[in-house]
Amino acid sequence: MRRYASTRRQFLAASAGAGALAVLGSARPVPAAGAGGTLTLRSSGDIDTLDPAYTTGGSPNYDTLFSVNPSLVHFDVKDGQATWRPTAHVERVAQVDPLHIDFTLKSGLRWSNGFGELTAEDVAYSFDRQKTGEYKGFFEAFERVEIQDSHSGRIVLRQPFAPFMTATLASGAGVIISQKATESVGGKFTTEIPATCGPYLYEWQQKKHIRFTRNPEWAGAKPQFDEINYVFVKENEAAALAYEAGEVACTKITSNTYARYLKQPPAGSKLKVAGALQYMWLGMNTEHPKLKDLRVRRAIQHAVDVDGIVQGAYSGTVEPAYGVVCPGLVGKRSATRHYSYDPDKARALLQDAGVSGLELELRVQNNKERVLSAQVIQANLAAVGLTAKVIPMDSGPFWELGQESKGDQWQDAQIWIMRFSSGPDPYDPFQWFKRDQIGVWNWERWSDDEYEDLYQKGLLETDPAKRYGIYLRMQEIMEATGAYVWLVHEPEVFVHRDTLQTAFTPTGEPQFVYFKKA
Amino acid sequence: MWLYCIKRLGLSVVIVLLAILVLFSLLHLIPGDPVSIALGPRATPEIQARYAEKMHLDEPVVVQFFIFLGKVLQGDLGSDVFSGRSVALTISEQLPYTVMLAASSLAWAVLIGIPLGCYAAVRPNSLLDRITGVVSVGTIAVPSFLVSVWAILVFAITLRWLPVIGAGEDGDVVDQLTHLILPAFAVGLGWVGYLARLVRASMLEVMGETYIRAARAFGLRPRTIVYSYALRVAILPSITLIGIGFGNLLSGTVFAEIVFARPGLGSLIYDMVLVRNFPVVQGTVLVTIALYAVATLLADLVVAWIDPRVRASL
Repeated sequence: MRRYASTRRQFLAASAGAGALAVLGSARPVPAAGAGGTLTLRSSGDIDTLDPAYTTGGSPNYDTLFSVNPSLVHFDVKDGQATWRPTAHVERVAQVDPLHIDFTLKSGLRWSNGFGELTAEDVAYSFDRQKTGEYKGFFEAFERVEIQDSHSGRIVLRQPFAPFMTATLASGAGVIISQKATESVGGKFTTEIPATCGPYLYEWQQKKHIRFTRNPEWAGAKPQFDEINYVFVKENEAAALAYEAGEVACTKITSNTYARYLKQPPAGSKLKVAGALQYMWLGMNTEHPKLKDLRVRRAIQHAVDVDGIVQGAYSGTVEPAYGVVCPGLVGKRSATRHYSYDPDKARALLQDAGVSGLELELRVQNNKERVLSAQVIQANLAAVGLTAKVIPMDSGPFWELGQESKGDQWQDAQIWIMRFSSGPDPYDPFQWFKRDQIGVWNWERWSDDEYEDLYQKGLLETDPAKRYGIYLRMQEIMEATGAYVWLVHEPEVFVHRDTLQTAFTPTGEPQFVYFKKA
Repeated sequence: MWLYCIKRLGLSVVIVLLAILVLFSLLHLIPGDPVSIALGPRATPEIQARYAEKMHLDEPVVVQFFIFLGKVLQGDLGSDVFSGRSVALTISEQLPYTVMLAASSLAWAVLIGIPLGCYAAVRPNSLLDRITGVVSVGTIAVPSFLVSVWAILVFAITLRWLPVIGAGEDGDVVDQLTHLILPAFAVGLGWVGYLARLVRASMLEVMGETYIRAARAFGLRPRTIVYSYALRVAILPSITLIGIGFGNLLSGTVFAEIVFARPGLGSLIYDMVLVRNFPVVQGTVLVTIALYAVATLLADLVVAWIDPRVRASL
C-alpha cells in the first residue's frame, strides 16, 4: 500500500486552497433587492441639472424632482389614456375654465434647511421663472399666478392651451422650488437643490447613485420605503444581468430582453410597459429628384412590410404605428388611409411612373433595432425592384442630415429612418412638421395650409372629441404627402419584482412616491 | 541617474503637451454638431446659443485650445457644461476607483503571471509549460468584456457569491473589496497570459547566457540562479510592460466599468463623449495622459535603477 506523504509546500498550498474555498463558500448570498425597507432600483443615466428651469429633463433628473420637490399635479394613466392627478402637496387643483386653474396647497408643508412653509408665492415664483428659463416653451400659454392667500392661487393663461395640465404642469417643468432658498444661492442651481419639500430627501454621488431617504420633516403620508437606492447602470444589458443577479428590484429593459422575458421571465418578476411615446417612421425627401414623383413615394409606402419589421427587428414586442400620435394619446390612429402593404400595387405605381432600377440611400442611426428595420425595408424595396443602400450613421452626423443650418447635405438626403419622442399630449409631435420646421426637423420638406391651421386649432381646443378629429386629419395630411411610412411605437418596458407595485410616467420616468410593496 | 531622471522627466512633459494637442484636435474632428448632439432635437435656438457660448464653441478651434491650455496651466480644468461641477472635483472622485481597479487587476496578474512564466521557463516543454502556453494565449485572446459577462453569469447570477454592480459602500472596505473581485478578475486575466509569455521568453533567453552557465558551474542552487540572477534581468521588459499596462488600464478599464457599472475615468470619458461634454472629456483625457506618462516614467526609472546600462541610452 502506498504511503501518503506530504511536503511542507504541498501542505501550504492545500491550506491556501481550502481557505479560499471556505471564504467563497461562506460568502453571503447577495440579498434580493427590495428586501426590508430599502429598495434598490436602476437608473440608466446620471443627474446633470435639477433646476426645473434649466434641466435637460428625462430620467433621473425628473425622477428626483418628483420625489423631493412639490408639484401641483403628477402624471397618471386612466383607461390607457395619459392624464393627471393632484399631488400630496395640494388640497385642491382644478381647471375652472380654459384660461384659469385654481389651486390650494396643503398647509404645514415645510421646506428643508429652514426655508419656511410652502406657499402660493413659491408657485408663482417657480412659474414666473419658467417664462425666462431655457424651457420657456412649456410656459408659452402661461400669463401669471394670482395669489389669493398664503396657500391658494389662480393660474391665468394668456390663451387656452389644452395640454397645460399634462404637458406643462405634470412635466418636470411644473416642479415648484422655494423662492427664498433659490434666491439665497443666487437665483439658479444645478445638482444641489437648496431646499426640498417632499416625501424624500436625496443624496447624490456622481456616477454611483442617488439615495432617497425619508424626509423626517415631511408632514404628508409617509412613502412605503425608508430608502431608495437609485444606482447608475448605463448599459441596458448590464442592467438586465444585475436584475437577474438580484441586485436591483426594477430596471428598464431593451426590446431584445423584453422578448426573452416574455417567453421566460426571471422567477418572481413582472413586466410593465410604462408607455410607448416614441414614433418611428421611414421619411422621404419630397424635393429630391429621385423622389419628387408622388407615385414613387406612394410605391415605397406600399412596399414596406411593417409587420415584418415588428417581428424581424423587435421580436413582436412593439406596436405598429399608423401616425405620429402615440398610444394612450388623443388622436391615435388604428389604420392608415392612403396605403397598405401591397407589393403588387407598388410595382404598378413604379411602372406607371416609368421608374426602373432606382437606387436609393437609406440612412439610419446606428442602433441595433433601427439597422435591422432598415434591412427589412431594404429587402421589401428589393422585392419591388428598388435598390436601397443602408447607411448606418452615428447620432452626430445623423441629426444634421436634414438641417439646412448644418450644410448642404440635406439636398442629398433621400430616405431615412427617424424616431422622435413625444410628450404626453398629441400636440407635441405635430410641431416638428410645420412649415417653419422645413430644413430644421421637417426633413421631408412639405407644407400644407390646412395643416398649419389645424395645428393652431389643436392648441386652443379643449374638447377631446374635437381634438381627436383635428389630430386625425393632420395625420391624414401627412400621410397623403407620400413622405411617410409609419413604422412602430417603441415602448418603455420595465421588469420588476412581483413584490413591488410600480408607477411610471408615460414617458418612462419612475414615480417613486407611488411605489409600494405589493 | 539624476541626469537620466531629468531627461526622462522633460521627455514626459513634451509627450503630455503633444498628446493634449493631438487629442484636442481629434475631439473636434468627431463628426456632428456637438450642440445638436448634446441637447437633442427639442433644444431651442436660445438654448443652443447659450450652450455654444458656455463651451466656447463659438470661438475658432485654435482659440478654444489656448483657452483650455491657459486654464490648465492655472490648474483649472473647467466645469461640467450641464451640472456646472468642477471637472477637477469630478475627476478626483472617479480617479480612485480606476486606480484601484487597474492596480488590483495588475497586482493579481503579476502575482500569478510572473511565477508561472518562470516556472514554465525553467521546465521548458514540460506538461506544465505546455498547459501554461495554451492557457496564456487563451486568456490573451479572450476579450475582457466577454470574461466580464461570463464572470457575472457564473459568480453573480448562478452562484450568487459576488455582487455584480457598483463599487461598494463608501467606508466599508470589505464591501468595496468584494465589489472589486469580479472586475479585477475580468481585467487582469489577459495580463496573466501576457506576463507569463513575456517572462518565459525572457527567462529562456537569459538562462542561456554565459553568466548563468558560469553560476551553474560554480554550483549555485538552481533557485538562487533563477530568482537572484536570471529573473533580475528577465523581469526588465515586464516592468516596462507593467508601466505601460497600468497607463493603458487607466482608460482601458472602460469595459469593466460599464459592464459592472463601476464609477471610474474610463466610463466617465465614454459617457461624456456621447453627450459631447467637452470640458469633462478634455480634463479627464488630460489627467489620463499625465498619469500614463507618470506610470511609464516610473517604470523606466525602475528599469534604469535595476539595470545601469539603460541610464546611458537616453
